[in-house]
Amino acid sequence: MKIDVTFIWTAFVHLLSAIPTTLLITAVSVTAGFIIGLIGAVVRIYKVPVLSQIATAYVTFIRGTPMLTHLLLIYFGLPVIVDAVSAALGLGFKSSSIPMIGFAFISFSITAGAYMSEVIRSGLLAVNRGQLEAAYSIGMTTPQALRRIVLPQALAVSLPNLSNSVIGMLHGSTLAFTVSVVDINAKAQIVASTNWKFFEAYLAAAAIFWGLTLLIERLTALLEKRINLYNRGGVA
Amino acid sequence: MGAPFDFSFVFSFFPKLASTLGITLLIVAGSLVVGMIVGFLIALPRLYRIPALRTFSQVYVSFFRGTPILIQLFLFYYGLPEILKLIGIDMSKAPVLVFVILTYGLHTGAFMSEMIRASVMAVDRGQLEAAYAVGMTGRQAFTRIVLPQALAIAVPVFSNLVIALLKDTSLAFTLGVMEMTGKAQTLGSVTQHFIESYIALALIYLVVSFTLEKVLKAAEVRLLRHELPDTPARTGFRIQKKGSYRRVVAGIGTEKGGAEL
Repeated sequence: MKIDVTFIWTAFVHLLSAIPTTLLITAVSVTAGFIIGLIGAVVRIYKVPVLSQIATAYVTFIRGTPMLTHLLLIYFGLPVIVDAVSAALGLGFKSSSIPMIGFAFISFSITAGAYMSEVIRSGLLAVNRGQLEAAYSIGMTTPQALRRIVLPQALAVSLPNLSNSVIGMLHGSTLAFTVSVVDINAKAQIVASTNWKFFEAYLAAAAIFWGLTLLIERLTALLEKRINLYNRGGVA
Repeated sequence: MGAPFDFSFVFSFFPKLASTLGITLLIVAGSLVVGMIVGFLIALPRLYRIPALRTFSQVYVSFFRGTPILIQLFLFYYGLPEILKLIGIDMSKAPVLVFVILTYGLHTGAFMSEMIRASVMAVDRGQLEAAYAVGMTGRQAFTRIVLPQALAIAVPVFSNLVIALLKDTSLAFTLGVMEMTGKAQTLGSVTQHFIESYIALALIYLVVSFTLEKVLKAAEVRLLRHELPDTPARTGFRIQKKGSYRRVVAGIGTEKGGAEL
């Protein structure tokens, strides 16, 4: 079997149609993960009883196990729970009406939440305590101080790590094929097996992912420049 | 879907899954060895600024950090035999495990090279100069002064890499390797107790990564005993332009992703 260079382009064009699915999974999991992570981080920093222990256990468990096991656990476990709850409450909801991509959304959000919680937490810890004290001294409430003073600085610090999390989730979204969601990876498998040209199809898929990753990096670099404007040194 | 939940299955699955832990750890160890060698080879041109090779290193690292490991697995599994066939090497008989270890090795190598590069560069140049000043040879200065310090900086990153690698090996089942995840899927479909088998799987991964982390943490403490403990001064919110060891460590992308060219 020879390497068919023109087929790489054909596969590439085919794969373009799957990019929205991949990006959607990434976007949903990153957004939901960010919210989960933010709550987890704040709860842990303020050492809220019970909740902070739960958050710690959650982060430890998720970070200590592969993303694939989360997806499989959710895929097999969630329907059982949903059906049991719905039967107990007499709701007419059936787990079979959850779309496949829903499992990917839920599971990847849980994964992203744990990783982002660590990123945000380290960002929050990097903000000087004096900032918070200054906010209090001019009469801000804790939520105000967090929202207006601490979080913007914390997010600026953790931006590079957040971008890595986004890239991690982009790469992780390839696992969605195990729950039969057709993302770039699954599409590559389909294109490859119908034409029996695996190498070419995966080369095209790799090229797309590489491009997307570089794009995310560039965007982050721009954003970082913008967001750190307040923090530059010098006199100009 | 499947049989009703029965927690006792989780326990009965433990020994069965643990029997394949060896394969998982073999993949991890094998790829660490390959990754270490590759990482060194890739890091050197960038450390010594060798013109053409340096660009190659950059592209290599960017590619392996910029594409998902799953895609890389398939790419090498299907692509490597065809490329090697062109130069007359027949790999069609090679076991799948070889491809898996090779791919994970090359993947980890990219991250390792970044780790090696960053930790060597993090050692203060004055240390080397001081070593020369007391009359050490270049080799002595490297093995006695630079290497121990670089190692200490690298350990936390290395620890993250090993754990990430362990978790990534769960994807080897896609090529049909019977490691822990593959075994868990088989157990699940044989007994129809999927949830129990995946819970057992997750717990084993958790224990293994926890142990790895603790062991490497101990190594870090041992290697860093010459450093002063972190002072409260590091609570500044400004991004440090020039910082201590820990800053540098934090600056190295320890998570997956990041493909800067």
